[in-house]
Amino acid sequence: MIGVSRESIIKALSTRNLIIIITVAFGILPVLLGFNRYYVYLATQVVIFTSMVLAWNIIGGYAGQLDLAAAAYMGLGGAITGLLLCYYHLTPWIGMIVGALAAVGLAVAIGYPTFRYGLREVWYALSTISLVLILQRIYWLIYGTTEEYISEYIPYRWSVLYLRFDRYEPYYYLGVAILLVTLWVNITIRRSKLGYYLRAISEDEDAAEALGIDVRRYKLYALMIYAAIVGLVGGLYITTTGIITYRLFDPDYSLSVAVAGIIGGLGSIPGALIAGVILKTVEEYLRATFGAVILGLHLMIYGILLVAVSVSKPEGLAAIFTYIEKKLLKKGSG
Amino acid sequence: MLGLIDVNIHLLIQNIVNGVLLGLVYALIALGLSLMFGVMGIINFAHGDFLMIAMYFSYVLALALGIEGVLTSFITVPLFVVIGVAWFYTLINRVLKADPLIQIAMTVGILMFLRNIALAIWKAEPRGLPYSALLKSITIGGITISLSRLIIAIISLAVFFALHLFLTRTKLGIAIRATAEDTETAALMGINVKLIYALTTGLSLGLVALAAALILTFTRVDPMIGTVYGLISWCIVAMAGLGTIKGIIFSGLIIGLVEALGMSLISPGARELFIYLTFILILWVRPRGLFGVR
Repeated sequence: MIGVSRESIIKALSTRNLIIIITVAFGILPVLLGFNRYYVYLATQVVIFTSMVLAWNIIGGYAGQLDLAAAAYMGLGGAITGLLLCYYHLTPWIGMIVGALAAVGLAVAIGYPTFRYGLREVWYALSTISLVLILQRIYWLIYGTTEEYISEYIPYRWSVLYLRFDRYEPYYYLGVAILLVTLWVNITIRRSKLGYYLRAISEDEDAAEALGIDVRRYKLYALMIYAAIVGLVGGLYITTTGIITYRLFDPDYSLSVAVAGIIGGLGSIPGALIAGVILKTVEEYLRATFGAVILGLHLMIYGILLVAVSVSKPEGLAAIFTYIEKKLLKKGSG
Repeated sequence: MLGLIDVNIHLLIQNIVNGVLLGLVYALIALGLSLMFGVMGIINFAHGDFLMIAMYFSYVLALALGIEGVLTSFITVPLFVVIGVAWFYTLINRVLKADPLIQIAMTVGILMFLRNIALAIWKAEPRGLPYSALLKSITIGGITISLSRLIIAIISLAVFFALHLFLTRTKLGIAIRATAEDTETAALMGINVKLIYALTTGLSLGLVALAAALILTFTRVDPMIGTVYGLISWCIVAMAGLGTIKGIIFSGLIIGLVEALGMSLISPGARELFIYLTFILILWVRPRGLFGVR
């Protein structure tokens, strides 16, 4: 790194260049994976998960609300997209929008009273994870444990209209598109009035309110944006896996999303991005390597890793990046 | 007509009795969590999974030694106290000053580890004790009461009373309360805060082990059971608010009654629905819990 000036590193790390690097990296990934069906499927899961972590960053990172309802909004968006497709042959292109809107509707219906009555911290976290279980139970009461397979209703092998493909690349690139949009939303919010308000709220809610910020309104905005993205991602998730079941409303998935956001460092965009990619990749790698050896072994190792990370680097991945960045800059300027 | 009302009132009383007994069991399960949260401010998401592991320990011991499941608590409770103290000194101690969210991430890691180690060892199918002298029921005036649940409810109340005495009458108990109230002042008064924290974690897990041995008499254990009990415990603690033991009993009773009445009068399939809807509604009315002071 000798001879690299501080300015040149900062310039190279500018937002625009970073986005270009990310786009290219995600764009050529299937080629690097040799278009292997299984690997591309895993990459799709990683992209979907990472989009959700980035969306979570808006409510969890910027607004500082420990939201654990990701699986509720994702499940709702997914179930609506999938059931409309199966029962009414409605194209997922519209179904996903309907699903996302429904997720926003739910977010307003739950978020308005939640913020109105001032639920915070662990109380907020618990009420949101309860929402996942409530929706799971409602779905279970209506549809029972039957699993609906989209392929039984839409027997096409390749249809852009119905998003049925016999390869995973189209789903992967749709996921990358949503991921990039989510990234853009994150950056836009960070630079906007909303972003400053949210970070003020996250620092000290009472102080923010005293300064005249309409705390309730801006928290609700953050929740709505997050729910919209997660609902949309849910629609893509359903078309990718092709199975609609009550298991979509999985509280553990909510926890994983929030944990990735936390480990990535709250409010850090690269942190959320990298934590999402690394955690999901590690989980899937462990599943592929150990999942078949001993039941649950991969999640056991994953749990140990999680404990190790939270004990060793409490400020999250973002702190590690800042640390590396500082080291680089020191060497460069010295 | 009169007979119908008679039957319904009968059913109602039966359900209220069931709900009260269930609620006291839930309260006992949540007690350890409440202690840890109240004294240390640690948000432990692995509480239900410690309960699950303790249930497996009791199960294995009861089968190996051929004793009543409840009696295994004489072995599991001290063991879990030690596990709790060890957990504090190895892991919790290192995240005490970290962001609360990092603490949550740590306990989620523990949760995943415990759940999956149980899955690896005991597989997914539910396990229960094949026999128990307590699996009888007594009938008083047409109301059937399960003996095991009655005994557990009585033990639960006794534990609450004992803990109350411990926290108000003993030096150690007062030190724990002082630490919960104001850590820095407590440290200035010569209280070893780290030791208090370690003992609180131990006490919390010890109570979990006791609850586990008790509920194993009437329920079965599987690796996923931690989610339900963990969340119910959290609902009770959050509803009760901070720093009140009485609140835990009342919240437990509310959850127990809602579950028993909802399941029998409306629909047995909607168990979680009633519990969590009640929880959310109560939080909307009282955001800091029913008995919360902070």
